[in-house]
Amino acid sequence: MSDSELGYGSSFTVDSVKVIAESVGIGNLVDDAAKELADDVSYRLKIIVQDAMKFMQHSKRQKLSITDIDHALKVQNIEPQYGFIQPDSLPFRFASGGGRELHFIEEKDIDLSEILSAPPPKIPLDVSLRAHWLSVDGVQPTVPENPPPLSKEAQKLESVDPITKLSKPANKDAAGKPVCGKAARLKASESVHVKQLATHELSVEQQLYYKEITEACVGSDEGRRAEALQSLACDPGLHEMLPRMCTFISEGVKVNVVQNNLALLIYLMRMVKAMLDNQSLYLEKYLHELIPSVSTCIVARQLCMRPEVDNHWALRDFAARLMAQICKTFNTSTNNLQTRVTRLFSKALQCPSQTNNESGPSMVPSMKESEKTPLASLYGAVQGLAELGPEVVKVFILSRVRWLGERVEGALSGIGGADRLAAGNLKHQLLKVLAPVVRAHRQPPDLPDDYKREYGYLGPSLQQMVSKLRSSPTGGNAGGAVAVVTCTPPLLPSPSPAPGPSLAPAPAPAPSPSPASVTIQHTSQAHAKTIESVASRNVVITSSAPQSPAPSTPPPQKFVIVSSQQKNQTQPASSAGHIVMHSSQPTIVRSQNAPVSVVAKPVFARSGSAQQPPPELDDLSHLA
Amino acid sequence: MGDKSTPLLAVLQLLRKYNLKGTEDILRKEANLGDVEYENLDLPEVELANILTAHHTESDPYSYEFAYDSLKKFVENSLDVYKYELSTLLYPVFVHMYLILILYDHNEHAIKILEKFGPEQDEYYQDDLKRLCAVKNKDQVKGNELAEIYSSNKFQVQLSRDASTQLKRYLHEQKSSPIIINIIKNHIQIDVCDGPGRSHAQVKSTLGGLLGEASRNENRTKVYYGLLKEPDLQILPAQIEDEEEAEETPDKPKKKKAKKDNIFMKKPKSDPNAPPNDRIPLPDLKENDKVEKGKALREAAKRVQLGPECLPSICFYTLLNSGHTAICADICDDSTLLAVGFNNSTIKVWTLTTVRLRGMKSADKLQDIDREAVRLWSLQCWTCIVVYRGHVWPVWDTRWSPHGHYFASGGHDRIARLWATDHHQPLRIFAGHLSDIDCIQFHPNSNYIATGSSDRTVRLWDCLTGTQVRIMTGHRSTPFTLAFSACGRWLASGGGAGEIQIWDLSSGLPSAAIPPASNSPIHALAFSRDGTILASGSLDSTIKLWDFAIISDENINEENGNAAPTQKEDKFLLRSYATKNSPIKSLHFTRRNLLLAVGSYDGSV
Repeated sequence: MSDSELGYGSSFTVDSVKVIAESVGIGNLVDDAAKELADDVSYRLKIIVQDAMKFMQHSKRQKLSITDIDHALKVQNIEPQYGFIQPDSLPFRFASGGGRELHFIEEKDIDLSEILSAPPPKIPLDVSLRAHWLSVDGVQPTVPENPPPLSKEAQKLESVDPITKLSKPANKDAAGKPVCGKAARLKASESVHVKQLATHELSVEQQLYYKEITEACVGSDEGRRAEALQSLACDPGLHEMLPRMCTFISEGVKVNVVQNNLALLIYLMRMVKAMLDNQSLYLEKYLHELIPSVSTCIVARQLCMRPEVDNHWALRDFAARLMAQICKTFNTSTNNLQTRVTRLFSKALQCPSQTNNESGPSMVPSMKESEKTPLASLYGAVQGLAELGPEVVKVFILSRVRWLGERVEGALSGIGGADRLAAGNLKHQLLKVLAPVVRAHRQPPDLPDDYKREYGYLGPSLQQMVSKLRSSPTGGNAGGAVAVVTCTPPLLPSPSPAPGPSLAPAPAPAPSPSPASVTIQHTSQAHAKTIESVASRNVVITSSAPQSPAPSTPPPQKFVIVSSQQKNQTQPASSAGHIVMHSSQPTIVRSQNAPVSVVAKPVFARSGSAQQPPPELDDLSHLA
Repeated sequence: MGDKSTPLLAVLQLLRKYNLKGTEDILRKEANLGDVEYENLDLPEVELANILTAHHTESDPYSYEFAYDSLKKFVENSLDVYKYELSTLLYPVFVHMYLILILYDHNEHAIKILEKFGPEQDEYYQDDLKRLCAVKNKDQVKGNELAEIYSSNKFQVQLSRDASTQLKRYLHEQKSSPIIINIIKNHIQIDVCDGPGRSHAQVKSTLGGLLGEASRNENRTKVYYGLLKEPDLQILPAQIEDEEEAEETPDKPKKKKAKKDNIFMKKPKSDPNAPPNDRIPLPDLKENDKVEKGKALREAAKRVQLGPECLPSICFYTLLNSGHTAICADICDDSTLLAVGFNNSTIKVWTLTTVRLRGMKSADKLQDIDREAVRLWSLQCWTCIVVYRGHVWPVWDTRWSPHGHYFASGGHDRIARLWATDHHQPLRIFAGHLSDIDCIQFHPNSNYIATGSSDRTVRLWDCLTGTQVRIMTGHRSTPFTLAFSACGRWLASGGGAGEIQIWDLSSGLPSAAIPPASNSPIHALAFSRDGTILASGSLDSTIKLWDFAIISDENINEENGNAAPTQKEDKFLLRSYATKNSPIKSLHFTRRNLLLAVGSYDGSV
């Protein structure tokens, strides 16, 4: 037993005792005396700690506290040590010098007057009692008060190594939580051991829940939607429906981008947000579906029917924020998520000359396209990069500001109303994003000419912005890029504020293959890539789900989304969607098998009904 | 002349025998021995040799290691029939070797022997060893709780007759090094019983006590574990609402955990195990008591019959914002009030129904967190009525009798006390535990009290005589909670290492041991009112349900076959429910068999 020394009878060293003696003014303690003292002190301390353990155990705790020691001292008729109330553990500091090593506790001087003048500390919350059902007739309900039926770690393990689930049928941890109502009806002793192998099968309750949630999320009733999103964001135990939810979102985005249905896109993004917020879900294995959808909503050429009127900018902002959240949460050194997302956006920003230099012949076909990268896509890409932090802004946007300025200038001087609006928005956004970065990056003398020379068209406006920032008091000390920018409110479509995102009468419930492919070709290059990476699987969507018969299944319909062949030329090796897909191989198989139709159905149902009142503009306020 | 001079006298006699006059004189002068003893030097030859060799070996620290090794080999080489019984000798011998070495100032050797043989001792002794190894010199032995327990009490070891014969033979061979002989003679009580040697499992089931097993003789007394008759309920016509209830009436007990099995209840008079109703005086029922009892009866009629097929619903009360301040919790028998004790010596009472607190009728209640005194609180006027003083050290646990009037307390002073509300001094004092009393529980018939202690024994005391009627060993760690089954025959105790032991009070033997599912201590146990489900709550924030019907059935079957206690937890475990980080403080079955649980949310982890 290697640690037997530790286990049986550790004691103070002579050195420690000498140090302690020194600290109380005994300079030259003889070795023998120190040894005696060390032994005795160790013994007494052990006795006290042993007694304190009893108090700890009777307090039903696992952590020894200072009060336990006090109680133990009292039991032994020793004066307790007053003044050692410390909420956290005291770290031992280490110091060495003069050939001696020393561990000590740092004691800070406390200024009494500071304490006296400080505002009184917050009163701790009173103890309160809250009741919930831990089990109803032996079944643990999945309410937020109960732990999720399958912990995040277990979900992760399952996705990384699905074999484990097959190899150990008797899962002790999950013993108390039957997966669904059916299992609960089984004889209890059996259900302890029987673990369902095919978790893709949803119980009737789950199907109902899925239907309710998806309908509410894309429906017209804002109250219900809020409830549904709340449920998505908080409820544990949704992991079994996750594949369906993700397919629902990705298919929904694909369809509604084609139909330019801004409202539904917003709703879908809010679903993504809710799922990201749910602590108990392990989303890694569905990123390959979520990321293309989200990036589509950021950079798509057209997201609404009337780009000159509708505020699709808010959706782009919101989706960009989502993307940043995804990057922050899921980025690891193995999936390089953030790098890939950054690359995706920066490609959209590439000016023709740069593409030529950087990517060589393989990019030639896309190059022509990118010259015409729509301003809306540029806006999205800028926003997407801006959310990833000032460093990204500096490297990827600042270096292209001259080219971007040219585009803006061209559009502003042009005639297209929509283009002019887009250019105005893009300009505003660029200034807002760049100003803090430039301010941190440049030395004070801000000369308009320098700016003009360096940043082209946008130079003068940028200079104004930066100098305004420098002069504002908050901007003075905050060095970060998030300084308060006093700027004009985002340019909203001025002529008609009321209508909001249009829910134009959709075509037939089944869009024919051609519009789909056409639209995909029309979308910006980056967008095309992301969509294709998913769509290239030629997903055939049928509404008769073999595995999970939804309670109200509509007559079988078939939707086919045919991907454009363009994807072969624009090799999506670097697009985020593709990468995540192949990093989680088993998942793909699963999501392909998933009954996608159930997913897509409500979207069409909603968009098909023309009577549906258009959601109010303040819908967008949720995004902010 | 004390013991100390005996070796001196022996040496003198030896010197005289060999005619070494000069040395003898010097020694005599130096030792300052009187003439009288000197003249009377006439020790028998055998004793002389014994004293001299004993002295020799005791002072020879090297021989200890050898002696222990040889004993170990003897145990290992003996037949399987005796092996397990004999192996129980190893630990006490080892402990006493350590203590003797310390006493004779061979500290290094003591530590050496501890490090060499300590790790191979049984796991449940390791905690004791760690505590013991704090003792590192002679002065510390005196005053150390554990060392004193070991040196002033004899370690109990049960051996079959054959095994003890084997042991005697071995000891005879070891005549030359009497270390082990001395230890066994002085510190170990060997309880020889007839019959065949016990198997490994049998031996293991009773091991683990601080001082070994209970001797068989101590558990001979008859225990009236049956329930009391409930004679007086027929006088309450108002309470009886339908025939079914009328039928159940005679056997409806009043208070906590006192619910009977239906079959059992139909013939209460024929129960040979029930004590006479007047065995201990119980207060007459008052009018409002009868009303209460009637209410309880009506509730009981609506009870859900539980079983593996029909598991109880659990309502979980979470204490929020309590951090580590909440210590204990209890729910009153009619499930209307919840009391929680906090570490700043306050008690908070919550009502679990919609009724406002002040208007409620309820029994007096008591809390157990106060140090060195027990206070009686009235729930009718919300004041402390009486302070009972008697305990000199912290009181760990108190409990009401199911019939009221009496209550019991136990604590750090190793003594359990029985109190009555109309006396300011304890009625009975139950002394005998070797370490703290950590938990206490009344038998449903109020005639007995069970205590669980840090010496890893559970004892049953008779309230009438004040004597110990059962001592039950087999716990591997300190029991922290006790629960009597509804029928009164079984006692469940939950230990600090997470194991649950079921004891049969009729024999005092462990009838089932449920091995720990995790290392966290069990802090709450509750039997369902119909006795079919045992619920346990632990510090690891889970509630587990066990099928008690199987446990008790098996035991009754075993009585014929006398098989070893079963260890298969899977068979008993029905379900396990996890909470979100809320360690369980208390469990309670309502009269309708709804399980109420209390825990305090611990957000820090």
